[in-house]
Amino acid sequence: MHYKKEPCRNFQRGSCQYGERCKFLHVIQQQPKSNAFGFGTQASSHQQQKPNPFGFGVQNNVQSKGANDFGNKQNQFKNTWTRSSASSAPSLRQPDNQPQATNHQCTDPELCKRTIIEDFEHERPLWKLTCYSHWKNSPCDIVGDVSFEELRATAYDDAKHGLSLQSIVDRERNLLNSKLVEFENLLRNPYTGPVGSTLAQQIPFPTATATAFSPQNSGRSQNGFPPSVSSFSQLGASLNSGSAVRPSIESNNAFGQPISFSSSAQASSVFATNNIPLANAFSFGNQQPNQSVAASFSTSMSSFSNSSVTSTALNQFSAPVVSTQNLSLSSVQPPALFNVSNLISKADGQSATDIQLGSNLQRKIVSGDSSIWLKEKWIPGEIPEEAPPDAYV
Amino acid sequence: MSTFGAAAANHNPNKSFEVLQPPSDSVSSLSFSPKANILVATSWDNQQVRCWEISRNGTAVASTPKASITHDQPVLCSTWKDDGTTVFSGGCDKQVKMWPLLSGGQPMTVAMHDAPIKEVAWIPEMNLLVTGSWDKTLKYWDTRQPNPVHTQQLPDRCYALTVKYPLMVVGTADRNLIVFNLQNPQTEYKRVVSPLKYQTRCVAAFPDQQGFLVGSIEGRVGVHHLDDGQQNKNFTFKCHRDGSEIYSVNSLNFHPIHHTFATAGSDGAFNFWDKDSKQRLKAMSRCSQPIPCSTFNNDGSIFAYSVFVMTGVRVLKITTHQQQRPTFSCTCLRNLKLKASHELEQVVESEGCFWLEND
Repeated sequence: MHYKKEPCRNFQRGSCQYGERCKFLHVIQQQPKSNAFGFGTQASSHQQQKPNPFGFGVQNNVQSKGANDFGNKQNQFKNTWTRSSASSAPSLRQPDNQPQATNHQCTDPELCKRTIIEDFEHERPLWKLTCYSHWKNSPCDIVGDVSFEELRATAYDDAKHGLSLQSIVDRERNLLNSKLVEFENLLRNPYTGPVGSTLAQQIPFPTATATAFSPQNSGRSQNGFPPSVSSFSQLGASLNSGSAVRPSIESNNAFGQPISFSSSAQASSVFATNNIPLANAFSFGNQQPNQSVAASFSTSMSSFSNSSVTSTALNQFSAPVVSTQNLSLSSVQPPALFNVSNLISKADGQSATDIQLGSNLQRKIVSGDSSIWLKEKWIPGEIPEEAPPDAYV
Repeated sequence: MSTFGAAAANHNPNKSFEVLQPPSDSVSSLSFSPKANILVATSWDNQQVRCWEISRNGTAVASTPKASITHDQPVLCSTWKDDGTTVFSGGCDKQVKMWPLLSGGQPMTVAMHDAPIKEVAWIPEMNLLVTGSWDKTLKYWDTRQPNPVHTQQLPDRCYALTVKYPLMVVGTADRNLIVFNLQNPQTEYKRVVSPLKYQTRCVAAFPDQQGFLVGSIEGRVGVHHLDDGQQNKNFTFKCHRDGSEIYSVNSLNFHPIHHTFATAGSDGAFNFWDKDSKQRLKAMSRCSQPIPCSTFNNDGSIFAYSVFVMTGVRVLKITTHQQQRPTFSCTCLRNLKLKASHELEQVVESEGCFWLEND
C-alpha cells in the first residue's frame, strides 16, 4: 500500500475485485470529483468528505435504474400525487422497485469493515442507544433503538411503579453498556458481521458483567448466569455456548427465539428476520410490568458477544466506556446531574430529549457507579476517587 | 421584570423573543395554529399543554398566555385542526385529547393506543386524525367515534410522522421509513430503509410532496425523493456537529412559503437551509442547551423553538424568532426588536422576559 500511487477507481465505486492485491490505492477518502453533485459515481460514499463544508453529496444509488427511468407509474410523482386514474394502485408493485435498495451485498468485506471502522471513529453520535447500519439504505447491523423520549418515559414509569432511583439508574446504565458492547462487537466481527454479531448479540449478558454492574438490582440483572468464557469468534461456537449457557432469561421470550438463526449466519437475508426479535425486546412500552421491563432491557440489550466475554474482556470494554465518558464529559455542556428523584416529583432532570442524557448516562456511571466496587480488577482510569460506600467495605 | 443576567446571553444568543410563562420542563412539541398566531406547547412538566397568543406589533412580538390543559402523564405531541379551533395532544398516557380551545370547551379523549403516542397529525382532506405510537401501529380516528377507522401496522415503533396530503411519511425505530399515499392509506406505498446510518429522529415532507427529509441522531439530514427517476437528487448532509461531537437533529420544518427548511438540533443551534441549491442559508448562534422542537407559524413569519434551560428555578423558555426569507440565498434574517413586556401573571415558574436589540 505504500508503493501505490493512485487511488483505485473501482474501490471508490465499491467494486474492486482485487482487494488487498489491488495495485491501486484503496482509500476511503472520497477524491473530489469534478461533479460533486453529479450522478452515478458515488457508490462508495462513506462519509461525504467533499469540499462542501456540509458535505453535500449526491447519494446516487440508482446506478442500475439510471436517471432516465421514467417508466410508467413513476411519473405520477412528477404530478404532485394527484391521482387522476387508478394508476397509483400499482403502487403495490413499487415497494420492491427501490433503486436505492441498491442492495448493498457486502460483497467486499474489507470495504465494509473499513466503513465500520471509519464510522466508529468519526461518526459516533452522542446518543448511544441507537441502531446502526454500515451502509445507508441497508438494514440495520445493530438493532434496538431507544429514543430520548422512550428512555425518559420508561424511567418515569419505573419511578411510578416504585423503583428506586438507583435501580433506574442501573438499568439505564446496563442498557448503555450493552449497547456499547454491541458496537464493539460489530467492530470486531463486522463481517460475520452484520448478521453474525447481531445474532450473537442475542445471547444475553453473562454474569461477569451483570454482577459487575448491577449487584444490587433485585433480581433484575442476570445474577444467576455462569459467565460465558471462551472467546469464540465463530458463530457456531457461540450458538452452542449460547444455547447451553443461557438458562433463565425470562425475556428470551421477548426476543422470539434468538437461537433460531443458526447456520444461516452468512446469508444477508437473515438481517430482516433478526432485526425483529431484538426489536421486540425493546418494546418496553408501558404495558409491561416493571420486572419484565427491566429484565428485558438488561438481557436483550445485553447483547453479548461471541467474542471474548471473559472478565478481561469486561475490563477492556469498560475501559473504553470510561474513557468515552470522560471525553464526553469534558465536551458536553454543564449537565445537570440526572437527578431521578426529581423525576418522581416530575420536575427538572435532564430531559430525555436532550442529547445530554446520553452523556448523563455515562456520567452516572462515573459518579454513581457503585458496582465498580465489585470488580475484581480495575483498569487505570476507572479507579474511583471516593472511598467505597459501607456496603462494599 | 427580572432578567437572568449571564445565563441570558447563553441560552438566548439570538435574542429571540421569549414567551411568557413557559412550561417548567422540557417542551416536547410546538405547534402553531393554521389560522392565527396561537402557539401551543406540550411538555414533560405537569403534563401540560399550554397555549399562547403571539401578537406582533410591527417588529415587536408579544405573547399572552391563554390557557392550558393537563394530561395524566407527559405529553409528547400536539397538532391543530385545520380550522384553527381545536388542538389535539397525546403522550405517555396513551391517549389523545381533543381540546376545542377557541370555544373554551373541555378536552375529551378521542384516541387510544397500547403504548405512548409519539406523533399525531390531523388530515383535513380526510377529516381524520392519525396517531403513531410506540405500540407499532398507526391509527386513523374519526373523532366522533371511539374506535379507530383503520389500524395500520408498522414494522416498529413510530418515531416521527409528517403529512403533506396525500403524502405521509412515518419514521420508525430501526431506520424504517414508510411512505403512504393517503388516497390509499391501507397500503404502504413504499418502505425505505433510511439513507442515514443511525436512529431516525424526525421527518418532514416536501411541500410539493416529491419527497421528504429525514433527520437522525448522527447530525445528518437526508433528502430523499420518492420518484425513482429523481433518485439522483437524493443526498445527505451533515449538520449540528461540533468538532468530534455529533448531535442529534431534533426537528425539521419547512417554511410554508419559501420552501426552505429549518433544522434544530441538540447542539442548541438552528439553521436554515435550501435543499435545491444545497446551501445553508443562515446559521443561528448556538444556545447553550439542546433544542428539542421547533415550528413555523402559518405564514412563515415566526419561527418558534424551545430551549430547555436549567436554572435554579428550572425555567424553560420558548423563543420566537421572526425572520424574513430573502429571495436569494444567504443572510438576511432579521431578528426582532423586542419591546418591554407586560405584567406576568403569577404562576409557579414564571420568569422575566427581556428584550434586546436587533443585531
